[in-house]
Order: sequence, then structure tokens, then C-alpha cells
Amino acid sequence: MSRYIIRRLLYLIPLFLGILIIVFAATRIAGDPVRLMTALNPHISEQSRINLAHYYGLDQPIYTQFFMYLSQMMAGDLGNSYAIRGGIEVTTLIGDYIGPTMQLQILAMSLALAIAIPVGIISAKKRYSKLDMTVTTTSLLGTCIPVFYMGIIAIIVFSYILGWFPPGSYITQISDTRNYFLGNPTLDILWHMAVPTGVLTFAILAPIVLLVRSSMLEVLKQDYILAARASGLSERVVIYKHALRNALIPVVTYAGIYFGGMLAGAPITETVFNWPGLGRLFVQATTKLDFPVIMGITVVITIMTLIANLITDITYGYIDPRIRME
Amino acid sequence: MVKKILKIENLKTYFYTWAGIVKAVDGVNIDVNEGETLGLVGESGSGKSVTALSIIRIVPSPGKIVEGKIIYKGENLVEKKEKTLQDIRGKEIAYIFQDPATSLNPVFTIANQLVEVILRHQKISKKEALEKAIELFRLVEIPDPEIKIWNYPHQLSGGMKQRMAIARALASQPNLLIADEPTTNLDVTIQAQILELMKNLKKKLGMSMILITHDMGVVADTADRITVLYAGRVCETADTKTIFYNPKHPYTQALLTAVPSLALKTEKLNVIPGSIPNLIKPPKGCRFHPRCEYAQQICTKKIPELTEIEPGHKVACLRATEINLKSPLGGSNN
Repeated sequence: MSRYIIRRLLYLIPLFLGILIIVFAATRIAGDPVRLMTALNPHISEQSRINLAHYYGLDQPIYTQFFMYLSQMMAGDLGNSYAIRGGIEVTTLIGDYIGPTMQLQILAMSLALAIAIPVGIISAKKRYSKLDMTVTTTSLLGTCIPVFYMGIIAIIVFSYILGWFPPGSYITQISDTRNYFLGNPTLDILWHMAVPTGVLTFAILAPIVLLVRSSMLEVLKQDYILAARASGLSERVVIYKHALRNALIPVVTYAGIYFGGMLAGAPITETVFNWPGLGRLFVQATTKLDFPVIMGITVVITIMTLIANLITDITYGYIDPRIRME
Repeated sequence: MVKKILKIENLKTYFYTWAGIVKAVDGVNIDVNEGETLGLVGESGSGKSVTALSIIRIVPSPGKIVEGKIIYKGENLVEKKEKTLQDIRGKEIAYIFQDPATSLNPVFTIANQLVEVILRHQKISKKEALEKAIELFRLVEIPDPEIKIWNYPHQLSGGMKQRMAIARALASQPNLLIADEPTTNLDVTIQAQILELMKNLKKKLGMSMILITHDMGVVADTADRITVLYAGRVCETADTKTIFYNPKHPYTQALLTAVPSLALKTEKLNVIPGSIPNLIKPPKGCRFHPRCEYAQQICTKKIPELTEIEPGHKVACLRATEINLKSPLGGSNN
């Protein structure tokens, strides 16, 4: 098992470098940040522009820039922002914004898995019943509707029409902590989280329910399920031991891939809910061609995605002995 | 008088599909005597497996037993509750499936699967159960049982897997063993080994057995009596010798002709023309009549009843006594 993990880890290194190269090249193609910085100042001289470019190292050939970035990154330095908070360090900036993102994503993912797996199993067990029809239809809807649309509808319904939840942001902006809506900041944050978490959970769980259901139906047709029944095992053992373990194999793969995709989807979700996370920061950084911030967030999201993939691989190996062995 | 361990009367198991009701088993009568091996023979789709699954009531959805009695040791299993049936399955009646590659759960070790089944029916400790599992492995002649037991199914060969499946079926010393084509998916040499093993185990443990197969060669060597099924109905039932040397149903005779055999030295392998009928709308009258070379007008209208033409020999053919069938294995033996 440890050899399996080490091999998986080694695969990650070239993958990580490849992603860095692509994103680095893509940002440099996107435009000239010096022009953007100086666009509002018509009197700036060409020499000042050259000086600025030199200051940021943008006058070097692209491969030199990349290797400089790489060596700095190894030392834990992701550079300074061009445009946000007066050139603050990117590491500090990411540190400030990563919390809310992870809070939202991990909570939504855990809730989605905790709900989707039992619902999918029940749906498969009661195939073609009214309950199954309802679950399938709802999940299909949830799979089809994009998160941002679901988010906007949820804000209209729960904030503007019903007025139960705030329309966005992380916490109520007040100076006196005793004035929080529910009395303390934690509850206030949870109150703000309710709608985004709900929407995100629904968006994640919908496809997982369908996957668990179809995977379970497939497994329940297998001979080893009949054989388990023929040995006199109770229905509970047959379903939750023999069938579930097999049915979860594709679900683990999907959840792992989805976790990476989710972080990539964070810019949209967080913009809709005005959520102060990495996703929204990323959107701000791209509009300003803030190369270090774009790269920094890419590095972090890449690392998190790769870790998620690694966890998926390990879980996969744990669930299915046929993978662990080869 | 021989005691009957199992008596199936007029069993009907239908599958309710979108396309219609599939009458997979439609009025089957089978007896199994204590201590004997009954061969259940027929083509694919003749209802052998569904009959067998019906006995222990694990017919997968959308299949349902709609009529009939399954009397095991004097009790009708059709009326039993699920909880009672769970106690019977594996303990009284055990089942071996066709494909050992799919009948063992790929994600658990063999020890895990065997111990689970042993503990289900016996009140012993986990450690004792493990010892018992290893003992079972010796019984089914698996080499190095202490090591092999910790393997996963995919690490074993097909023959080993089937031995392991047999060990699981024998875990609680069942009185009746149902083996559903236990050798079909194995190499020919392994087939012979497994059949030999099963024959020996049956003798050793004093079980009764139902051996399902489409291979007449397999039953010739193993079964005491044979019941031939066609399209969900019984065609003929008699002791093995009678079936082979004095078949009275044209379908039985056709099956015998279709067996490739070195002794018969026929140039071409005989086939039964046509295929098993659509069981949603089975042919009227005798279900075999569209493929039967002896069929007459009456066969298309009247359903033949299973009637005893001599002691222990029952046939469901309207013309059983009129036509003089010849066994491909040579003349009548009586």
C-alpha cells in the first residue's frame, strides 16, 4: 500500500509542473499589466513604463521569468500583488481568502456525500416507485441547472421575497460585536453561509445521487449479491456490506474529480454570493492582470486538486483490492 | 418407499417486464429424493435457473412466484416469511452459482466471506469460524489453505474460485445442494476435477443435490435421475439410464443427439432446429411443437400433461406412446 502511495505521489510532480507552465504562459499572453496600470495616466513617459516593466521583471524572456518564479516558489515566496492592497504579499492574500472557500466547499461536499449516498441507495432499492421517480427527477434538474443560475434564484427567493437569509457576503459588517443578528459572530457566519451552502450542496449531490443509484442497480444485478442472499445473509448485510462497497467505487472516483472541478468553479459561486474566497479574489486578479495573484491562486488550487486526487487514489485502492495489488 | 426431501408442485414464476409477462417457469413439477442427485437439464432459457432460484426464494425482481408449492421436508417454502427463509438459505439448502468469477465478492478476502457465512448459521467465535473455514478448504482440496484463505478472489484461478464457492456452500452442512451449472465456465480438465469433487463430497456429507446443466455428458456421470425442462415446463423425468437409453420425449431425444461424442462418430454435430420460444407469448399446445419433427395438428392445440408411462418415468408428450423414439446411444435397454 505504501509503495502504491509513493508511486502516486511521484506521478504528481510532472503533472504539477505541466499545469504551472500552461498557466504561466497563458497569463503572459493575456496582455500587458504595465499598460493596464498606466492606462489612466496619459502623461506617463515611455521610460517610466520600461522602468516599471523592469521593476516587475517583465522585461526578461518568458523562460527566465518562469524559472525565477519557480525558484521563488520553492522558497515559499509567491511574489507581491501588482494591484491589490498596495502590493501585499500573495501568500498573505491567499491566507486571508482561503478559509471561507474551504469552509464552503468542504461543508457542501461533506453534506452532499452524507445525503446523496443513502438517498441513492434507497432510490435504487425502491426502483420505479414514486419515491424513486421524485428523487431521480429532482436530481436530474439539479444536474442540469448551472450553479450560478440556481444561486441567483435562491437569492431572489430566500433573501428578497422571503427575507430569511442575507443576499451574500460572509459576515455582517458592523463594528460592535454585540449587534450581530443572532448575537454572536459564528452564528452570523453560519446564517450567511446557509444559502450558498444549500445551493452548492444541491448542485454537488444531484449527480452523485444519480451515480449512486445507477451504480447500486448495476451491483445488485451481480451474482455475488444473489450468492450473498443464497447464503442466508440478511438484506441489511447484503446491501450495506456486499453491495455498497462495490457501488462506491465509481462514486469515489467521481467525488475526487468533482472536488477539483469545484475549486475551479469557485470563482462563479463566490461571485454570485459575494463570498470573500479565493474564487472571487481570482476574478478580481484577472480583471487587473495581476500575474502574481493569478499564479498564486493557480498554484494553491492545483496543489489542492492534486491532493484531492491523491486521496481519491488512496481511497480507491482501499475500497478495491484489485487496484491496490497490480 | 424413498423419502422425498423436496417436492415442487405446479410452480409458476413469472417476470413482469415492460414488454410483458415472461412465463419463465410455468407449471413445473419436480421431486428430489433423499440422498440422490437430480439432474435438471435443458437449453439456456428453459427455466432451470429460475426454478432453482425459486426454491430458495431469491428470484430477482421483477420475477415473482405466482403459483405452486415448494415443499421442503414437509413445509411449504412459498408461504414462509423472509426471516425464516434466511435461516433456511445456506443452512438447509445451499447454492453454487455458475460463474465463480462473479459469484464471489471481489472486494472482500475469502476469509472474510467464508467466516461471515459460517457465523451466520453457527454460534461460534470468530477464531473458531476461521479454523472451520480452513477445515472447509481442506475438504474441497485447496492446497495451502492457511495462505489461500487471505487472498482476494481475483488472485485465485477459476477452478480454485469454484472450490472456494463450494466451500462456502458447504459451510453449514446443508441437506440439499443446488449446483447451477457449476462447471460451465471452467476448463474441461478442471470441470472433471470439480465434478469428481462434488460427487465425493455428496457421498461424504450425505447430501441431496440438484445439478443444473445443459450438458448431457455432465449428468450422465453424476445424476441418479434426470428431469428435462423445456420453455418453463417439464418434458420428461426418469432415472438417468432410462433418459439416455429409452427417451420418450422428442426433445430429450433431440438433446441426446446434440451431444458431441467420440463414440457416436457422427460427421456433423446435430443441432435442434430453431431456438427456445419467446416466453411472453409461448406457442399454444405443446411448447416444443414448432421445433418437433413428430408434431401433428393436435400438438398445436392441446397442452400435454405430465403422465407416468411406466413406474418412475413421466413424460409430457401427447404422442409418447405412438412414436417409437430411438436413443442415439443405441437401442432400448429394457
